[in-house]
Amino acid sequence: MNRVIVIGAGPAGLSAAITIAESGYEVLILDEYMLAGGRLLGQLYEEENGKWWNGIKESKNLHDKAIALGIEIRLGTPVSNIEKTDGSWVIYTDEETYYTHHLLLATGAAEVPLPIPGWTLPGVMSVGAAQVMTNVHRVKPGNRGVIIGVNVLSSAIAMELKLADIDVACITLPKKNQVNKESGNPMDVMNSLLHVSHMAPSAFVKFGSKLMKNEFMKKMGITFFPKSGVKMWDIPIMLRKAVINIYGENTVEGVTIATINASGEVIEGTEENISADFVCIAGGLYPLAELAAVAGCPFYYIEELGGYVPLHNERMETVLDGLYVAGNITGVEGAKVAISQGVTAGLAIANNLSGGKQEVEIKEAIKRIEHTRDNAFIQFHPAVKEGKQKLQQYWEEYGQQAKVEVTI
Amino acid sequence: MDLSDNEMIICRCEEVTYGELKNTAETYNCSARELKLRTRAGMGYCGGRTCRSMVDSIAHSSTERDVTQVTLKYQPPIRPVSFGSLGEITK
Ligand SMILES: Cc1cc2nc3c(=O)[nH]c(=O)nc-3n(C[C@H](O)[C@H](O)[C@H](O)COP(=O)(O)OP(=O)(O)OC[C@H]3O[C@@H](n4cnc5c(N)ncnc54)[C@H](O)[C@@H]3O)c2cc1C
Repeated sequence: MNRVIVIGAGPAGLSAAITIAESGYEVLILDEYMLAGGRLLGQLYEEENGKWWNGIKESKNLHDKAIALGIEIRLGTPVSNIEKTDGSWVIYTDEETYYTHHLLLATGAAEVPLPIPGWTLPGVMSVGAAQVMTNVHRVKPGNRGVIIGVNVLSSAIAMELKLADIDVACITLPKKNQVNKESGNPMDVMNSLLHVSHMAPSAFVKFGSKLMKNEFMKKMGITFFPKSGVKMWDIPIMLRKAVINIYGENTVEGVTIATINASGEVIEGTEENISADFVCIAGGLYPLAELAAVAGCPFYYIEELGGYVPLHNERMETVLDGLYVAGNITGVEGAKVAISQGVTAGLAIANNLSGGKQEVEIKEAIKRIEHTRDNAFIQFHPAVKEGKQKLQQYWEEYGQQAKVEVTI
Repeated sequence: MDLSDNEMIICRCEEVTYGELKNTAETYNCSARELKLRTRAGMGYCGGRTCRSMVDSIAHSSTERDVTQVTLKYQPPIRPVSFGSLGEITK
């Protein structure tokens, strides 16, 4: 029962487990996937300093370190429910039920789908699936693809596909509907793209930074955005075109695209077909917090963090005794931030087990999260810091309320 | 809105279309939960793992979002569990 349990063997869960084991406590990690590393496994890109961030290597380092410390990792083990009974956390999996006093949820993020007519055809996949096939399993998702959804993740993965010698015909928008409201609106997409301009060499950067200046310029930028797109790594990014249909008899054969106006409305008569044997849908990411929800954590919707996040403090403690969260479950960010959050959660758990011996280290670890965030190469939302501040405020308000209830 | 949009499947498990969801949301001005209950979208065997965010977006085109509560409740089991392992008597 003194053994700590971590759900999720991604960068956050692995780093937390390593930190706990280094403090001398026993840890068990459960993960439903067949490999340790989580979403870190698929990542591959060149950072500003010219160094390559290779997710497979980074995952292996964390995994080897965990094994060397005697941490047990059970893969292929989905957790279907958790609950608190008689003062301890009960964790349900297909095979076994586990018990602990200290449970960390590090379940990461999931992808948002964008519905487009034809999106249920075989050969249509999420952009993350294409990333995992290519970089983790080393299987080509196809020979020529179209990516629908223009955002940080889709541009990073387009480049990875390119590295694997897979042809990407274009990255373009989905046709606007009630689900694809923002991702189908060129203005909204332009706004969210401007902060990733450092990931896009040459043309796009220049284009982007000039447009930054004011709303009028942005509007002009969209209006005069070249219909054939702006090239990034030789892949046309088309903000004035949208996929209106994915076609094919039994599997994807191509997409129909059309020109759209600055607010995303399709201009009749501009339809054309692009042939492709796979289509990637990139609707963005949201924190995967199902287990925190069934456990009964209070939640807040914070757009800057990607959606609903479980309420927690800077030490990664939730309001439920013995339940902690770290990594993308607390808001969508890059792997380095997830690692530093994992370390913080690990220290918080060790500190609670040791009766307060790690206070100083926790404070440093919290500062390190901030520092990592400030220097992050990849940022999924430009205002993630504001999102974190909102959460902190909710935490304080919740604490006030709880106090009032106690006094009454 | 052309035909193909309305016929597009949103919930694959229960085969609920975009048109059905949109019309229901507009007719009843309903919350995400009510939209789910009226159409069965998100109530199939995957537990709404794919369509949840889409059902949520369609409902929030006509109603205000409650930022202090998850709009479509998560219920255990959050992963499919076979009847075999649910009902198994431990040796
Ligand atoms: C498709 C995709 C692509 C991404 N690409 C990038 C990128 O290129 N660069 C970047 O910096 N960030 C990227 N991210 C963000 C990524 O989430 C973070 O970089 C980082 O991996 C988050 O770490 P984590 O430990 O919080 O979660 P993850 O790395 O997602 O790990 C979570 C783990 O929890 C497991 N899990 C979840 N639920 C359960 C359950 N119920 N039972 C058992 N196990 C469970 C999962 O199998 C997974 O291994 C991407 C995210 C996604 C979803």
